[in-house]
Amino acid sequence: MNGRERILCLLDGGKPDRLPFMPFTMMFAADYAGVLYLDYATDFRAHAEAQFRVVKGYDIDHVSVTSDPCCEASDCGAKVKYFPHQPPAIDEAHPLLSSREQLRGMSAPLPTEAASMRNRLRLIEQLKLGAGAEKLVEGWVEGPCAEAAGLRGLNNLMLDFFDAPEFIFELFDFVTEMALAFGRAQIAAGADLIGVGDAAASLVGPEFYEHFVWPFEQRLIAGLQAAGARTRLHICGNTRPLLAAIGRLGCDIVDLDSLAPLDQARREMGPRQVLLGNLDPVRVLCNGSPESVYAAIAECHRQAGGRFIVGAGCEVPRDTPSNNLLALARYAREHGAA
Amino acid sequence: MSERMLPWEDLRQAIIVGQAARARELTELALAGGLAPAEFFPNAIVPAMDEVGRRMRDCEFFVPQVLIAARAARTVIDRLRPLLLQDAAAAAAGRVVCCTVQGDLHDIGKNIVAMMLESAGFAIVDLGTDVAPEQLVEAVRRHRPQLLAMSALLTTTMVNMKTAIDALAAARLRSGLKIMVGGAAVTESWARQIGADGYGPDAFAAVALARRLSLIAI
Ligand code: B12
Repeated sequence: MNGRERILCLLDGGKPDRLPFMPFTMMFAADYAGVLYLDYATDFRAHAEAQFRVVKGYDIDHVSVTSDPCCEASDCGAKVKYFPHQPPAIDEAHPLLSSREQLRGMSAPLPTEAASMRNRLRLIEQLKLGAGAEKLVEGWVEGPCAEAAGLRGLNNLMLDFFDAPEFIFELFDFVTEMALAFGRAQIAAGADLIGVGDAAASLVGPEFYEHFVWPFEQRLIAGLQAAGARTRLHICGNTRPLLAAIGRLGCDIVDLDSLAPLDQARREMGPRQVLLGNLDPVRVLCNGSPESVYAAIAECHRQAGGRFIVGAGCEVPRDTPSNNLLALARYAREHGAA
Repeated sequence: MSERMLPWEDLRQAIIVGQAARARELTELALAGGLAPAEFFPNAIVPAMDEVGRRMRDCEFFVPQVLIAARAARTVIDRLRPLLLQDAAAAAAGRVVCCTVQGDLHDIGKNIVAMMLESAGFAIVDLGTDVAPEQLVEAVRRHRPQLLAMSALLTTTMVNMKTAIDALAAARLRSGLKIMVGGAAVTESWARQIGADGYGPDAFAAVALARRLSLIAI
């Protein structure tokens, strides 16, 4: 089985030859290939090249487009700060929607025309061309809460939950439709799976999550699946109080950060849910030894039981020792996916 | 004002649930009734924000609840500030310069810590995020704070706490300044290793730490 077949087999309910291996590599991939991060995030050729190298070096089963969390926001016109060695970031002090009224006059950019989105579409074509027969091609969109934070500013958004709940619904509707359009364009360009990153959703607590965020995440996931893609949801941070609700979203893969216990996720999401994760990226993967990494992922696997994909809780930190990531790859290679 | 009429319990509640307008209204009433501005801190603002910190630690409150409570506390403090300046008895608990370190843009935790400290009676100078050591040196020279509070959430930016502390030492501003550090990436042992005076795992701990450190700051 190749990587693509392995992942799809598991997602289709089958039993692949071994555990799939799908860590996030962004800064790690750029460093590994000797590419400046700014180029990785803005130039599809540099990104594709780095992905080809890192997935080969570590026997990773998929190639991914994740690099720039501000992709959609910058195409909407948000002020984004670019750095040579780290991912672009929203200028929190000067958000695009500095007043809520501005949303009314906004229209979503067209994925095939806007600069950052178009770069990602070309990246997908490149990844598909160079590795698509063997590796699963993963596209990416920002989830409703993360993208809303990108346009409105995270600090403002948190207050809007109380001050203007109707605005939250309108903004989430806007960003969800934009994500769907962008996701469909990525699927058309060759993506097998669309990852949804909804970082800020871990900050709002279970009540707001269920009331405001969940319905839009659900619409997004269902829409991407209807367009023919598999889906992976990743929420950074502590999602422990949200696990049961996340389990009801119907995602093909729930990718958990290290603060959310896998055994609890398994209990609350049932035996069918494919779980991915969730080594502590810093304390274990980056600062541990190959032995401790191997032991820790074995414990994750034990807690998750079957229907499990090997990965870290979040992005592989850039200074992770090569042998630690190799130990993770070795665990996947040595274990069946029962 | 009779004991029964004292507004503290109502004001505490208004702050805890984040009703800024109501908190402001109660403040006006209390001031009109002759209560001294300095009494608001020990009787209402500090206990209310302590309660908010506790609820956050115990996962009863999440970031939105904490931020609206802090905003309500701030409306009260903003109303009191001009009065406090005239009130000699109300010397601030101390001055704190706070920031997120260079290269790091995470500001939610830093903002919460700053607002909690403000509610505990400290005067805050917030330098924002991605603050270079030179900027910090300049701010400490200008504002002469008792305390410096630095936040870092990334393992890649934690080291910039050390760079900042070294820069302060080189500028001869380190002695007499108490430095506290925090943020998801930071640990107690890291704080010791870089020569900080204290570490706090959450905003609740940050306030206790600041109180302790400001007593021994000169
Ligand atoms: C929201 C978030 C973001 C937002 C930040 C927006 C903003 N305006 O702040 C965005 C999307 C921009 C972002 C970007 C990135 N992020 Co981020 N992010 C988070 C997330 C999900 C939550 C952080 C947060 O706000 N927590 C809530 C607050 C209240 O908690 P807190 O900050 O820890 O603060 C509390 C205490 O620590 C303490 N405290 C804080 N400061 C201080 C100071 C003192 C003096 C004291 C005493 C106490 C104290 O009190 C606070 C209140 O209780 C975390 C996940 C997590 N588990 O923390 C990742 C996380 C911090 N991010 C991470 C990463 C890797 C990144 C990026 C590099 C991602 C990327 N690849 O694009 C970029 C870097 C951008 C940059 N240059 O800074 C990693 C860091 C890993 C590491 N250790 O290095 C984390 C841990 C996610 C993960 N699991 O990997 N992120």
